[in-house]
Amino acid sequence: MKIAQDAEMRMLDQMAADFAAKELVEAREDHDRYPFLPLFEDVLAKAHEVGFFTLLLPEAAGGGEQGISALSLILDDICRSDASLGGIIFTTALAHEMILKAKSEALLPPVASGDHSYREALIACPSFDNPGEAGNLLQAKGKGKKHMLSGSIEYVVLAGLCGRALLPAKVEGDESYSLFLVDLTSPGVEVSEPVFSLGLHACPACDLELKGVEATLVGRQGEGRAYFDAAVDKMFLAAAAMATGIMKGSFTEAFEYSLQRHQGGWEIINWSEVRMLLASLAIKCKVADMLLSEACRAAEADEAGWGLGARAAAIHVQELACDATTDGIQLLGGNGYMEDYGQEKRFRDAKQIQSLLGLTPMKRLDYIRRIREGEKPW
Amino acid sequence: MKGDGAMGPNRSKALLEREPRFDDMAVSLLAMPRLPKAMVKETKQAVELARRFNDTVVRPYALELDRKKHEDPDFLPWEFVEEANRWGLYTLCIPTLFGGQGVNFPALSYVLEELGSACTGMSNLVGVHYLGVATLCASWNMRLMNKVMRDTAEGEKTGEPCLISLAITEPGAGTDVEEVDLVSKAQVACQAKKVKGGYVVNGRKIFISNGHLSYWHMLVCYEDLKNPQDTVIMLAIHNGMKGFSFGRQERKMGQKGCPASELIFEDCFVPDDLVCINPAQGKKLKRSMKETHMQVIDYIVAASRAGVGAFGVGVARGAYEEALRFAGETEVDGKLLINHEWAQCMLAEMYKNVAVGRLTYEEANYANDLLGMFKVLEWKPIFYYLKYMPKPIMDKVIQPFLNLGAVTWLFRKIYFDWQKETDYQCSSGWGSLSKFTATDIGVKNGQLALEMMGRAGLRHDRGAEKHLRDSKLLQIYEGTNQLNRLNLFKCLIGRDVPGARVFEE
Repeated sequence: MKIAQDAEMRMLDQMAADFAAKELVEAREDHDRYPFLPLFEDVLAKAHEVGFFTLLLPEAAGGGEQGISALSLILDDICRSDASLGGIIFTTALAHEMILKAKSEALLPPVASGDHSYREALIACPSFDNPGEAGNLLQAKGKGKKHMLSGSIEYVVLAGLCGRALLPAKVEGDESYSLFLVDLTSPGVEVSEPVFSLGLHACPACDLELKGVEATLVGRQGEGRAYFDAAVDKMFLAAAAMATGIMKGSFTEAFEYSLQRHQGGWEIINWSEVRMLLASLAIKCKVADMLLSEACRAAEADEAGWGLGARAAAIHVQELACDATTDGIQLLGGNGYMEDYGQEKRFRDAKQIQSLLGLTPMKRLDYIRRIREGEKPW
Repeated sequence: MKGDGAMGPNRSKALLEREPRFDDMAVSLLAMPRLPKAMVKETKQAVELARRFNDTVVRPYALELDRKKHEDPDFLPWEFVEEANRWGLYTLCIPTLFGGQGVNFPALSYVLEELGSACTGMSNLVGVHYLGVATLCASWNMRLMNKVMRDTAEGEKTGEPCLISLAITEPGAGTDVEEVDLVSKAQVACQAKKVKGGYVVNGRKIFISNGHLSYWHMLVCYEDLKNPQDTVIMLAIHNGMKGFSFGRQERKMGQKGCPASELIFEDCFVPDDLVCINPAQGKKLKRSMKETHMQVIDYIVAASRAGVGAFGVGVARGAYEEALRFAGETEVDGKLLINHEWAQCMLAEMYKNVAVGRLTYEEANYANDLLGMFKVLEWKPIFYYLKYMPKPIMDKVIQPFLNLGAVTWLFRKIYFDWQKETDYQCSSGWGSLSKFTATDIGVKNGQLALEMMGRAGLRHDRGAEKHLRDSKLLQIYEGTNQLNRLNLFKCLIGRDVPGARVFEE
């Protein structure tokens, strides 16, 4: 990624790329067969050891105190090989970011890798939702910090993997929702089997049923939307980084294949329509990389309007990734459709992550709402 | 009609033959008056049957089968195939002449769309059998057509399904084997060597849809691997032949219910009476073996690509129907999704995609009715003769004639020697147009449905994500959509452009 320019970023870049090459490539097909094969727990433990799950947390909370550029860089590298791990890193980072925005670091679990397992470091949350759009939310009753939550909530990512979840719920009479931290081992919590989904198979989500479950309010009551909105601009960049990584992986595999596979008497790269498809894919990768790098730079510099730029980057890059990975399969022909190669997984994963943080059309409408409310479009 | 009074018949003809040729752009208009009216009733009944089959068999089992294949990639859906056999789906479009029900072939596309709207994998479990049928028919070997298709009819009676597959793709050659200009330079490796009394076959075929589930396999291989375009040979292989075995099932992203099989041939002896067509037979035809080879391919793909178009429309419709259902029952931002203007426009776009895709496979089928594989069967006298001839007379009096060499000779005269170049250009061109248009639409609607549904659409138990996974294969098999664009160029564009060459970069 273009943002990997200083020594520390280059080191992170190399570390993430090495990790992906060593831990993710070879067993990708087996990892992706979860829940029908075991989860790649050894990989998760190693990812925790190198600090992937605590990147955004302050050092005082046991984190890496990294910025969005570092998170994006790592997600880009990881998702080239297997976006499932990217989804786990993303979901936990989203939960952390919302907790940080609520100034509730004190609620974070202890995370140091030597003393605590990766499961303790993770926090589940409905990372594919914008709770503000949802028709039905969990109901919360109570006062002060302790509330009792009831109701059902679908697709809470990582709920089957870890002990805590950050969940949106509405206190009766409030206009907007609040955020609560819930111990998933509490009585009254029913966690479904992993929801089998299109992509990110090894980043499982579960449906939850809560019956009077004790929960801790995060930040102030009724301010959940504000924390989500404050966290989400940064996380849009992380989502764009995942899409960028998937695209780059798709291009690399397609390019290498085109140099080896023969058709009509020579390597398929010699056919100009193949080169056109490759060029289209490469250009999408380049555009995504430049867009993401610039959006990260603006975010790190806290430039005016960077949030809108982050959203534009995510919406655009995620759409590019869906198109690019479709061509990525096409370039491998029948082989691209088979699980033995990485392309079909990238196609599924790209479409899956397009739904991160809410419905895509609603993200577009929200974008124009912000401009209408006075944010400068450029 | 008013106009230029000086226009003579020659000038008039020349104007209509100018590109785009009137005969290519108004295929349905030309075909409709020539087609039997009874096709409409037959087609309605076939769609009704497909909808009942969907309600009873496909929808209750589609997600379960898909999940089962995720869990156990080697699972084979025999239960479904036996059910489809009981419902008569494998003989539905086999002509009565060969013991089938004789429903017109274009009706099959509507059936495949219906089944595909519920599950494209299961639609393939039915449709791919007819790819085998079409391949067999493209040899116009009436004796073998009678033998093999009557086995399917017999299998329906006994409850032991007898499906037919097409085995053409090889590990080193996919797109190449669908174009003679490419196959001449392809890395083909499946060879049939002439020996006394037959052929000995060695090699492997891969990605063979329904391979493990079929009894007969139409094997396309080559006598001389250095000269495949002139030495193509089609053999009818059946299970149990010595030297023939099944290899692995591929692990596909979608259409999981329909196995993609590896077929292995190790010194497999195939007797002469199972040769559908070979270069020796080709020598008796007007054109060279290379040209006949392309004619055979064009007959098959002109029909089968319309069928793939129907799969594309089916999957596009399935995705649209899931999105519509979701929009009607889900509240977003305080109101039902279906009452958001953007959602209404998105649904209209998806509906349009389905309708446009359907028009393409219909037009491709009209081309086949008029100029391609179906032209004899849908000629009114033959159509009604076959439809109303009592079955015992068909089976006992007419059928033995099919074993006469003269009948094969006559059909090869009609279908090979008398076929004009513009005939197969039109039907093959429209087949390709339908294939890539409708399958691109299938993928597009799959993507739009998931955009509309968000994370709900990602769940396997909602069914929408399966449509997207299933749709992608359609852009690849029966020739990639890139190859089909090139075939359209070759058939309908490049022929009239001096200096235009295809597959010669």
